[in-house]
Amino acid sequence: MSPACLAPLMLAGLLVGCATPSLTLLPSEEGKQGAVAVIEENGVARETVVSELNSRTNLSGRPRTRSVDPKLSARQRALLDTLPPPPVRLTLYFREGTTQLTSESEPGLDFLKKEIAGRPGAEVQVTGYTDTLGSDEDNDRLSQRRAEEVLAALADQGLDRDMMSAVGRGERELRVRTDDGVREPANRRVVVTVR
Amino acid sequence: MKPAMMVMLGTALIAQSAMAAEIGRIKRSMGTASVERGKAKLAPVPGFQLQSGDRLVTGRDGQMSLTFIDDTRFSVGPNSSIAVDQFDYNRTTQAGNFVTRVNRGSLAVVSGQIAKSKQDAMKVRTPTSLLGVRGTRFIVEVPK
Repeated sequence: MSPACLAPLMLAGLLVGCATPSLTLLPSEEGKQGAVAVIEENGVARETVVSELNSRTNLSGRPRTRSVDPKLSARQRALLDTLPPPPVRLTLYFREGTTQLTSESEPGLDFLKKEIAGRPGAEVQVTGYTDTLGSDEDNDRLSQRRAEEVLAALADQGLDRDMMSAVGRGERELRVRTDDGVREPANRRVVVTVR
Repeated sequence: MKPAMMVMLGTALIAQSAMAAEIGRIKRSMGTASVERGKAKLAPVPGFQLQSGDRLVTGRDGQMSLTFIDDTRFSVGPNSSIAVDQFDYNRTTQAGNFVTRVNRGSLAVVSGQIAKSKQDAMKVRTPTSLLGVRGTRFIVEVPK
């Protein structure tokens, strides 16, 4: 295509991009594939899956997807730059039957304090997990209680109670995959998420 | 007051406080920006706790960034009006439903656990369309 043809085409693309609602699909921060589906358009149900990364799709009229790479507008770049940083997670291990951190987990506390200080308006989730010994319901309760104990311990260490909440996830998301009914210290853990 | 009525009132209060649970927090706001809750216009200071039904409104120089308790992150651009119509999330199972309406302006999204929980558990509505989020980073723009 000659350069003379490109200009009007680009202009047309810009006009479409500006005049109607649009979706711009980007790779995840890890560069991974994702997708967004247009499931309804002007009141009509449809299923147009947009999976082309770095693309723009108009959201009025028949959805059409165009490549935008690498031409994000300054406004779009500003929008991406002001996204909050991804949450950080830290796994803590405790001395058997206590809320005292193992010596390996002790430096974690300073790490948490630093992360919280660097994130104005931080929110902290303390998530308890169990191994697969015992029933699902018991493990949900046990992990919740564990998370609450750790939350209290973190509050004693100077973390603001108002920014923290406790969640029990029981034996979901095992760190070490085991059969049901298996003792596994690596699965009995607490993960602290700072958002 | 009759005891039966008191019980009902108590139940209503509990239901209300459960509904008013925190769904996320404001991290940053610049320029003209507010969180509208019913008829109230609230200042989005860092740490402000969001609730389901809140509307994020910015002026010409406004911007807001926020995180949700399912790890979803938003950045709201200038001249925007964005409503969090629904945010139901079970923190134990990490399943839920999340509906955001972009009435005007621009919104950048990094989706979180709700979008992963089942197909189209996270939706974004614009004046002309409904989107099902299948886990990614994207921008929705609704010009005036």
